Amino acid sequence: MEDIITEIQYDDLIESTGNTPILSDSYSEVEREILIDVKDVSMLFRLPAEKIDNLKEYFIKFLKRKIKYKDFWVLKNINLQVRRGESLALIGRNGAGKSTLLRLIAGIMEPAKGEITTKGVMAPLLKLGAGFDSNATGKENIFLNGAILGFSKKEMAKKYNSIVEFSELGDFMNVPIKNYSSGMMARLGFSIAVDVKPDILIVDEILAVGDAPFQKKCRTRIKQLQDSGTTFIVVSHSMETLKSLCQKAIWLKDGKIELSGSVAEVSSSYLKYCNEVSLDK
Amino acid sequence: MAFLNNNKSKANIVMLKKSVFVLNSLVSKNIRAQYRNSTLGVVWTVLNPLLNMLVMALVFGQFFGRTMPNIDYPVYVLAGNTVFGLLRMTTTSGLTCMVENYDMLTKTRIPYYVFPVSHLLSAVVNFGFSFIALLIVMLIRIPNGVKFYWTMLMTIVPFLPALMLFSLGIALILATMYVRFRDIKHFYGVILTLWTYLTPLFYNDAILSPKVRYLMNFNPMYHFVKYFRDIVQSGIVPSLESHLIIYGCGIAALTIGLLAFGSQKKKFIMYI
Repeated sequence: MEDIITEIQYDDLIESTGNTPILSDSYSEVEREILIDVKDVSMLFRLPAEKIDNLKEYFIKFLKRKIKYKDFWVLKNINLQVRRGESLALIGRNGAGKSTLLRLIAGIMEPAKGEITTKGVMAPLLKLGAGFDSNATGKENIFLNGAILGFSKKEMAKKYNSIVEFSELGDFMNVPIKNYSSGMMARLGFSIAVDVKPDILIVDEILAVGDAPFQKKCRTRIKQLQDSGTTFIVVSHSMETLKSLCQKAIWLKDGKIELSGSVAEVSSSYLKYCNEVSLDK
Repeated sequence: MAFLNNNKSKANIVMLKKSVFVLNSLVSKNIRAQYRNSTLGVVWTVLNPLLNMLVMALVFGQFFGRTMPNIDYPVYVLAGNTVFGLLRMTTTSGLTCMVENYDMLTKTRIPYYVFPVSHLLSAVVNFGFSFIALLIVMLIRIPNGVKFYWTMLMTIVPFLPALMLFSLGIALILATMYVRFRDIKHFYGVILTLWTYLTPLFYNDAILSPKVRYLMNFNPMYHFVKYFRDIVQSGIVPSLESHLIIYGCGIAALTIGLLAFGSQKKKFIMYI
C-alpha cells in the first residue's frame, strides 16, 4: 500500500483546462481499478422563487402567471476519478457543492449533465439517521439499513453481533431510534457501514458528533478498511481529521474544482484562502 | 457496448435484490408498528376487523339488514370492508410515503417504488388477517345459513391481483401529487369518506334509485366489492365482463400511476 502520490503540476492543469484537473490519472504505471469516474458533471437546481406547496396557492399563482423559477448551478463541469484504495477529501465552504457531489456519486440524484460510473458496494453515510426509520428500534434499523446496502436478513443476522459490539449500543437495541442522541445515531450508522466492508465508503461530516474515544475507534477502522482496499471519500471541515485519513483532496469553490492534489497542499491553500476571507470582512 | 449493457443489467439485478430486502424489512416493520406496545399484539389485526364488523352489524343491521333477507348481514358488511380496507390502507399510507421517507430518499440509494409498494404489501397482509376474521364470522354464522363455496378460492386469483393493481395505481398518483401539494392530504380524506359511503359496504345497492344505481357503475370499488361478495357469499362465478371491469380498472389506474410517478420522480428530491 505504498502511496502513489506524485507531484503533478495541478496548477498547470487548471490553467490549461479551465477547472477540470483529473486526479491521479496523469500517469499509468500503477493502474488500480477506477471505482468512481465522474465525467464532466454539472448539476442544476431549479427552484421556485418562493415555496408553493399547496394546490390552492399554485392555482392562484398559476392563473396570475406568477410562478417563477430560479436556476442555480450547484456544480459545473466536474471531472474526477478515484481508484481502489484511494482516499479523497472534499473541502470547501458551505454551499460549495460538496454534499451535492457526494449525493451524485452515491447515486441518490442524477446529474443534469455528464456521467458518473461507480463500481462495487457503496456505503454512503450522508447524514445522521439516513436510511433509518425513526420509529423503528435500533435492531430493526440495522436490518433495514443493511437491506438498503444490499444485504439480506440472513447476511445481516451474521453481522448483527459485531455491529452492536462496535457501536457499543447493546443496551439500546430495542429502543426506537427517535430516542437516540445524535452521537448514538452516528455510531450506529457508522458501525453498520464499516461492517459491511464496502468498496466505497462515503462519509459526510457525521463523524464529528461522536465522542473522542469513538472517533479514534472510527479512524482506526477506516485505516483498516483502506488497507484492505476500500475507497474512502469524506467531507469535513476539520483539516486534522482529513490529514490523518486522506491522501488526496479536492477544494470545491462555487461548484467548481478550485484546486486538487495532495491533502497537505490543498488544505494549506484552502486555509490561506479562509484567512484572507475572514480578514476582508 | 455489450460490456456496458451487461454491467447495466447486473446493476439492475443488484437493485432488484436490494428492493426485495428493503421491502421485506419495511413490510414486517409496518405490521409490527401497528400494534406495538399492545398486550394482544398481532391478535389485534384479526380482532380489529371483527370488532368493527360487530359495531357495523349492530348499528346498521337494524336499518339495512332487513333489506336483504337472503344474505347474512354480518358477513356482507365484513366482506365489503375487507375489500375496501385494502384500498383505504394502501392509499392513505401511500399518499404520504414519499414525504415521510424523506431521509431515505435524499440520503440513500434506493428505488423509489419500494415505498408505495411496501404499503401495498402491508395492506395485503392486513387483508389476509381480515380474511381470517371473515372466515371466523362465516363459521359462526353457519347455523344462520351461511355456506362456504369453492368459488371463494377466486379471492386469491384472479380477484386480489386486480385489487392490488388498482390500489397501487391510486397510491402512486396520490404520492406524486402529495410531494408537490400538501393539501391533497385533506382533500383525499374527504374524498375517501365520500367514496366509502358511495360504495355499498353496509347497505344494499338494491335500495338505491335506478338513476343512482346506474351512476354506481362508474365507481370501480362497487365492482370490486360486488365481485368479492359474489364469490364469497353467493358462490357465483363472475361473468367475463366483471373480470374485464376489475382488471381494466386495475391496469388503467396502475398505468396512470406509473406514468405520473415515473415522470415526476426525479423532481421529488427538489420538492420534499
